[in-house]
Amino acid sequence: MISDLRLKNATPGKKILIIFVQVAFICYSLIIFYPLFNMIMSSFKSTRDILRFPFALPQKLDFSSYKTVWVDRGFGRFFFNSVWMTTVSMIFVLLFGSMAAYGVSRYVYRMRTAVYMLFLSGIMLPLKAAIIPLFMLMKKLGFVDKPISVILIFIAMGLPSTIFILSGFMKTIPKDLEYAARIDGCNDWMIYRKVIMPVIAPAIALVTIYNAVPIWNDFFFPLVFLQNPKYKPLPLGLTNFFGQYSTDWSLLFTALTIAILPVLILYIFMAKNFIKGMTAGAVK
Amino acid sequence: MKKAKWLFALAIAVLMALPLAAQKTELTFWTWRPEDTEKYEKLLATFEKQNPGITVKISAFKNTEYNTILSAALSGGSGPDVFQSRAYGGLETFAQSGYMESLEKWVPELKNFNKDVLRGATSVKDGKVYGVPFASQTLFVFYNKQIYKELGLKVPETWDEFLANCAAVKKAGYQPLANGGKEGWTLEVMMGSLCPNFYGANDFYDAVVAGKTTFQDPRFVSAIAKLKELTPYMPDLYMGVSYTDMQSAFINETAAHFIGGSFEAGYFASQNPKLDFDVFPGPTAKKGDPHYVSIYADGNFSMNAASKQKETAAKLLKFFAGKETGDFFIRELQQVSAVPGADTSASPYITKVLSFQKYSTPYIFLVGFRYNQPTGSTLIQAALQGFLAGKIDAAEVCKQVQEGIATYYEPFKKK
Amino acid sequence: MNKRTAERRWILFFISPALAVVFVIILLPLFMSLFNSLFSWKQLIRQDFIGLENFRKVFFTEPYKTRFFNALKNNGLWFIITMLIQNVGGLLIGYFLSRRVWAHEFYKRVIFIPVLFSIVAVGFLWSLYLRPNGLVNGFLKIVGLPQLTRAWLGDESIATFSIIFVNIWRWIGFPSLVFLAAIDNVPMDCLEAAWLDGATDRRVFFKVILPLIVPSILIITVLTIIGSLNVFEQIYTMAGLDGAPNFSTDTIGTLFYRTAFGSVDSGNPEIGIGSAIGVIIYLLTFLASVASIVGLGKKEVEL
Repeated sequence: MISDLRLKNATPGKKILIIFVQVAFICYSLIIFYPLFNMIMSSFKSTRDILRFPFALPQKLDFSSYKTVWVDRGFGRFFFNSVWMTTVSMIFVLLFGSMAAYGVSRYVYRMRTAVYMLFLSGIMLPLKAAIIPLFMLMKKLGFVDKPISVILIFIAMGLPSTIFILSGFMKTIPKDLEYAARIDGCNDWMIYRKVIMPVIAPAIALVTIYNAVPIWNDFFFPLVFLQNPKYKPLPLGLTNFFGQYSTDWSLLFTALTIAILPVLILYIFMAKNFIKGMTAGAVK
Repeated sequence: MKKAKWLFALAIAVLMALPLAAQKTELTFWTWRPEDTEKYEKLLATFEKQNPGITVKISAFKNTEYNTILSAALSGGSGPDVFQSRAYGGLETFAQSGYMESLEKWVPELKNFNKDVLRGATSVKDGKVYGVPFASQTLFVFYNKQIYKELGLKVPETWDEFLANCAAVKKAGYQPLANGGKEGWTLEVMMGSLCPNFYGANDFYDAVVAGKTTFQDPRFVSAIAKLKELTPYMPDLYMGVSYTDMQSAFINETAAHFIGGSFEAGYFASQNPKLDFDVFPGPTAKKGDPHYVSIYADGNFSMNAASKQKETAAKLLKFFAGKETGDFFIRELQQVSAVPGADTSASPYITKVLSFQKYSTPYIFLVGFRYNQPTGSTLIQAALQGFLAGKIDAAEVCKQVQEGIATYYEPFKKK
Repeated sequence: MNKRTAERRWILFFISPALAVVFVIILLPLFMSLFNSLFSWKQLIRQDFIGLENFRKVFFTEPYKTRFFNALKNNGLWFIITMLIQNVGGLLIGYFLSRRVWAHEFYKRVIFIPVLFSIVAVGFLWSLYLRPNGLVNGFLKIVGLPQLTRAWLGDESIATFSIIFVNIWRWIGFPSLVFLAAIDNVPMDCLEAAWLDGATDRRVFFKVILPLIVPSILIITVLTIIGSLNVFEQIYTMAGLDGAPNFSTDTIGTLFYRTAFGSVDSGNPEIGIGSAIGVIIYLLTFLASVASIVGLGKKEVEL
């Protein structure tokens, strides 16, 4: 570890640097917290007040918009759908992704680069580009208006970047670890499971955040594939507040708050493990 | 004998089952107006009551994604039975792809519709009608009556009177115009509201569509140049003022004028019921000249050519072409219904809008030049942003529009 | 021989689930839509094979040419500014956090919060802050700099920069933590050796830390290339599909979407041209990523 950078015993030049760094960090923290605070406060205001006095505090903490959004507009249902769809998608992204990363980084074979490039090419273009053929495909498979359509797409969207990031980490793990395990009688699955996966745990945290946030927030694919209100996820609920010539800002901010809070709470609880995981492993 | 009895019983059973099966008919209907869903449900309930056995399931999509979703569904061979479709070029896309059923034989009521409004539902390629128009929109100027009263202003007839009113409003500390330029389409609306009286309305429209003149015609250039005279009365840093900011300024009574379209009224009234507003048509150069307003068909109801229940879908479309729907648009949505003979007496606002239509001209780029890329709208929106920001002059705006359209528009190519 | 077959089976076992999903859901539809770029289109219906005509149009005929190169220039801007400010900034943040400045545990948590926001939410909030009478201009007036107030999203010359800065605000936590992780894992003996030589902090940073975190720099660079060439949502929520004002914020992502699907307020779809632009985005991203992997990969070996 590098030494601490503290005011004590620092040369005058360093002191200026340290103070400058602190001021920068504090300012940056403020411009992170303010929008968050502003969003939550706006959810207590009427649309007209949001537009008239965007930065004023609400007159009172009126939770009626939360009731409207959660009960009348069905966000309870949307929320539940989002949770399980994101979870299922992420489980498969991580499982298939780490397996494939293992397959392209821990073996030497002729087609290796080709397979790697094939995966890599999946990140190169937004999948939106292929929406019409994708729709036809889903229709042939009979998946339109079923959650599996969207989950499959989310898995596919997450895999390339997961494989790219994880194989990068796996390449740096010394072969010796693997040989030792092999001598102990481990087969390839056990090596993957018992030797490699624990070492790349921090990278798993990284790809989880990298992929779960866009999946949680995506509204485009659910919008195209899911018409049945039973299956709609949160971001799709948000689109109901955008009219052609008018937007219901009050309900929109309420819904945005509802959408961000669980992620935020989860993050605050997990932050310690997440950051520790990311920074304590064999990331090189 | 016994067999015959059985057959008879079977026949009865089949006959009884038929209406039963019909009872289960469900139509799907798509709209791009999530804000009107609840009101549409009321209208559709009336339809369901009149047609027992048919239920209509409504799905509303975000306006900006609607076309994408509709094209994905229709090219995938599915999609709704009945859907809202865009007018003019937006209709052409789906009609010429064969995804829409032509409606002459299904909805004979269309014969009674206004020819101009029907143009938005008619393909320019084959001349067939592919939709039941639902509303027409008119472009003009909203003003705050309260502010006018307070300052003792009169509704302006000429351009100079309009500018004088703006100056008076500014002096009194109000914002004269709500309009900004962050979104290009609001500038096109501004052009459509104010310019026709200066470029010669229908004379110029007919000539330019026929290729007898171009957009570099001095009449058109000088009409565009007029818009620059308004910038002193637009908000500070108006290029950053978005459509939402504009609405907000007018609703909250900080701005005296809002140059916009008839579709705004419903939202204004719902957001601030106390707002006392009225409208006037674009001012003219001389007193006594007729005031021309740009009008266009907003959109249509269309039938999916791949629908499996066209007879039932046609029933819904006939209902949409009927007086009940017409009255509903005026009463509930404050929109100028396209249905002939709809009752306007309930709304003085709509009566007034209709009175402006005595002198109407097509909303030039949407009606005439939105069929190919780059569309007239794309060109004028971007160029007007450059113009109002002071990067280019009116002649350059017209040159860019002309050259862009000339890349595909046959009547211009001959020149 | 037997061992080879066994190994082959294991490889198949590991890669086939992911390969199947990626192939069916991404590559198949993608290649179907790329195939579309070789045809002429009558509205939404595919017509005749026309070879590379759509590509010729994009590169050599008006108005496509102007729009395409204008958009590409903006993607270039996105890449350069993101590299310079977001990634260099992230590296500095990561470095100072690894030096355990005061309250570093707190900053570590805070800096990642915007990454969790949806782009839609970020777009709205910042549009409110950046409008003429919004928070940013209000702040400038309060601190006595009214001459600096701007129409941040409406001025052709600065709109792109405003959107890029908002995106940096949103995403800088990501490279920061990646670099922090990498720096924290620089082996102690390398650092000790440098200290024994009496190297200054600056020297340690450039001569020891930087070379050892090249793999992380590589990952971030490739993700930045891909991100910059695929910018779409950020523009869409803050400037609209037309890259307003006057196309000054247009990128090949918005150009592609607008051309392939049409824009409600201004135009109709041209699937052939749109697909051609899609192919170009695809190839550009691929080449740029491979080039940086090869380029930076070499640096890694030299160490």
